[in-house]
Amino acid sequence: MNILNESNFLGILRELAAAEIEFILVGSVSAVLQGAPLVTFDVDIVHSRTPDNVRKLLVVLEKLEARYRIRPDLSPSESHLVSRGHQLLSTKMGPLDLLGAIAQGEYEDLFPMSKIQELEPGLRVRVLNLAAYLREKEARPDPKDRAAAEILRRLLSERGEI
Amino acid sequence: MDKQPDPEPDTRPPEYDENGVDVSLIRWMLTLTPLERLQLLQSNVNAILRVREYLERK
Repeated sequence: MNILNESNFLGILRELAAAEIEFILVGSVSAVLQGAPLVTFDVDIVHSRTPDNVRKLLVVLEKLEARYRIRPDLSPSESHLVSRGHQLLSTKMGPLDLLGAIAQGEYEDLFPMSKIQELEPGLRVRVLNLAAYLREKEARPDPKDRAAAEILRRLLSERGEI
Repeated sequence: MDKQPDPEPDTRPPEYDENGVDVSLIRWMLTLTPLERLQLLQSNVNAILRVREYLERK
């Protein structure tokens, strides 16, 4: 599977939402939905690691033909998804990163820092709010992250949120 | 009846803040719906991938 030549952000979000997966969209896609002019190639989510949610998530991953990007022979399993680790996957709809936890915590910690965005009728996606995403970017030393942080600060200012 | 003149386009250059951030781009993004922003991202990614594929074939 070519991890980059097939990409469908909306398709991935539709599949996750249709299966009623509990997740928070946390990467640049979440910032784009809120108005940030950023570019990214993957969908990053923090998922709830409850047994029921992990079981539902595994069904979606099988449908998406998910494999580890650096180990295409390996599919994610229940033991992988209950960990705090980062599962960097390729799917038939493009790259999908499942994050057990990020700097500011796991699903339950991030929930109060998130909000619902409606993309289309019936498709509601929970996204990490911009201020929290900015804190994630500020915590990283990478120059690319610092550049994105400047954009996020200005966006928050334009929205009257700082 | 006389034809109305076409509206003048906004031909001002992009506005950058002190950190080099394109403020006019952010303001334009804020006029879009979340779905339109996602579609824009998808379109940009697809364009980059097409260029990459072309360069790999050359």
